[in-house]
Amino acid sequence: MSIPAQRPPSEGGTAAMSLRGLVKRFDSRLAVSEVSLEVPAGSFYGLLGPNGAGKTTTLSMAVGLLRPDAGQAVLLGYDVWQSPAEAKSLVGVLPDGVRMFDRLSGPELLAYHGLLRAMPADVVDQRARDLLDVLELGVDNRTLVVDYSAGMKKKIGLACALLHAPRLLVLDEPFEAVDPVSAALIRDILQRYVAGGGTVVFSSHVLEVVERLCSHVAIMSDGVLRMHGPLAEIRGDRSLQDVFVQVVGGRVATGSELAWL
Amino acid sequence: MALTPALSIGPFVRLKLRISRNGLRGRPARIVMFVLGAVAAGFLAIFGYAAFATPGLLDSARSAEVLFPFGGALLVFGWFLMPLLFFGVDDSLDPAQFALLPLPRRTLLAGLGVAALIGLPALATLAATAGMVDTSARLGGPGAALAQLLGIICGLLLCVAVSRAVTSAFATALRSRRARDLATVLLAVVAASLGPAQLLLLGLLDQADWRSVQLIAEVVGWTPFGAAWTVGLDVAGGRAWAVPIKVVIVLVAVGGLLWWWSRTLERAMAGAATAGSRRGSAVTRADGRGPVDQLLFRWWPRSRFGALMARETRYWWRETRRRAALITLGVAGVFLPLSTAFGSGGSGGRGLAVLVGAIAPIGLANQFGYEGSAYATNLATGIPGRLEVHSRAAAHALFTLPMLLLVALVTGLLAGGRPESVPATFGMLVATYGVGLALVLPVSVRAAYALPDPSTPFALSSGGGLGKALPSLGAMVGAIVGSLPVVLAGYLLGPAWLWLGLPAGLAYGLAAYLVGAHLAGGLLDRRMPEVLAAVSAR
Repeated sequence: MSIPAQRPPSEGGTAAMSLRGLVKRFDSRLAVSEVSLEVPAGSFYGLLGPNGAGKTTTLSMAVGLLRPDAGQAVLLGYDVWQSPAEAKSLVGVLPDGVRMFDRLSGPELLAYHGLLRAMPADVVDQRARDLLDVLELGVDNRTLVVDYSAGMKKKIGLACALLHAPRLLVLDEPFEAVDPVSAALIRDILQRYVAGGGTVVFSSHVLEVVERLCSHVAIMSDGVLRMHGPLAEIRGDRSLQDVFVQVVGGRVATGSELAWL
Repeated sequence: MALTPALSIGPFVRLKLRISRNGLRGRPARIVMFVLGAVAAGFLAIFGYAAFATPGLLDSARSAEVLFPFGGALLVFGWFLMPLLFFGVDDSLDPAQFALLPLPRRTLLAGLGVAALIGLPALATLAATAGMVDTSARLGGPGAALAQLLGIICGLLLCVAVSRAVTSAFATALRSRRARDLATVLLAVVAASLGPAQLLLLGLLDQADWRSVQLIAEVVGWTPFGAAWTVGLDVAGGRAWAVPIKVVIVLVAVGGLLWWWSRTLERAMAGAATAGSRRGSAVTRADGRGPVDQLLFRWWPRSRFGALMARETRYWWRETRRRAALITLGVAGVFLPLSTAFGSGGSGGRGLAVLVGAIAPIGLANQFGYEGSAYATNLATGIPGRLEVHSRAAAHALFTLPMLLLVALVTGLLAGGRPESVPATFGMLVATYGVGLALVLPVSVRAAYALPDPSTPFALSSGGGLGKALPSLGAMVGAIVGSLPVVLAGYLLGPAWLWLGLPAGLAYGLAAYLVGAHLAGGLLDRRMPEVLAAVSAR
């Protein structure tokens, strides 16, 4: 396993992430049903859906944290379940609802991630310092991650995902519980990362963020992928909000109900 | 706090009584609890009175001089423990509830203190210690009885002050994660040392001669814990000069506790509003060390194995349940051989030492459960199973092997009295530990389960405890059975074993471990996502 060089130019045409017929069943409930998705390299891909739509389950299966009942997940040409070492070395992951090794301090956690990625110690040191500095977490901050605020936890998680300069970032709810200033910072970092040839896939249920950032959008509900494609195509001449509500099947107030309000 | 607060204590007393009464209204379960509590308190009072009055009936001043300081100190200790054990049960006068009222601190202190005096525990304590007055009267006449009466009142004040101060400090302290961690560990330590302490005490009593006990009793009688309870005996014994000194000792202790209480009380009241405001505030220590040097020790390899082992090592210390497990093991390891040595003259010491070697690996039986879903990090970075298993076992051994050496030393030097057997005993312990690891490691992969959220100190494991513990119990028995060849060789070979024991034990343990780790690693390679799913709490 080697460290990818400073982000090589993406090969034209290859999908950064390719999901084929993913299925996951919890007990009798079908959490994800036949999800197939192609994420082009160099895209900023937003996965939208209401709570419980299966976004986290899908992303977990995509990066090898959860074994699918059926289907395939291919990251940058490597099957996650056939050749996990190669696939995982090229991807940075920020899971949601999963604990970190939070009895380490921020710097310790970054060093841990870097060494687990088999990076040389001096490179780990230098990049960890940069990340801690840019994300304003403090190189000498010895506070344990367990005592961080929710926003700081997101930021250190993102730093861990970025540390080995992956070519694909898979982020589950990266903007949840993050204050506006930090959110703007994270947006900047991600936009520069994509401009430099990287690919970002992230889930969210905040439409504004997706609309502002993404080049591509996929909409999930009830474990089914309802719609996917370039943002402009999906949106057409309507607002993303209208499309989302229509696709997911929510109701739009017509004005006749709750008239007494 | 003389007159002014006295006027405003009344409401506190009425409040306490009202809260107690309302708490019972219409709740049969609570009434039953209350009645049971009352019965227990009554029993304690009668039993205590009888115990403390017996020396007087027997006209034995000598036994009274031992019983009073020890019994009294035990009472104080009980009052100290009570809020720790039952914290959160009686919050009828939680200081935080008075935070918004314009009360001077002195009034609040006096009110809460007096309210604490009105209750079953205080009544029971007073009734029980009245036995001391009885004894003093029989031994030394009315003067002694009067002094002892003063003594037990001072003692009761001390008890209440101790308990209130501890409660208040706890209410403040338990709001921070650090303190909740500490509480969890302390609880484990207390639980772990109850058994050994009892055995040790019995063993000591068996061996101790009356003189040294008397000497200790006299010393305790001059500490704040025992001073209050012995003044009557001092009068009876013709040492009336000691009475004012002892009273001053107790009152100074009470004053100190009240001062501490008043300080923590303020914070306990304010804490209701400021809890959690220090979250994420930076603890910085700029010594110029880079992140890698912060994680790893100087001589540690800068590799994946080094990182895994360093993280695991830190977790054994920083994660409370793991630290509790280590401390329990340490206590058991030292006291099991010691206590039998006192009991049986040392013959069983070595057998129990083997037991320690078999208990040690149990800490790894649910090693993935300790960190829960954080294991996702290792899974997402694609750590091979064998690397994972080896690094974890290495970190555990880093703590355990020195402990086993200590056990061997204790067994050889103190308990058995055969120093030359120390290396062979250590070899035997390592053999047992290795076999135990070999069995426990696959179990930890195969039968991992989620533990409750570690942020609450008194959270109990969620149901099915026995079923989950069975595999690790089986591994413990298996470790003893599996190391039988080494143990038997030890008995059969006799003197030669003193030389052979260490290398043979080490080799046997290492071989067993390698086989087990190999198996567990392969198993983990096939089951990583399943392990993650099993340890993620839902």
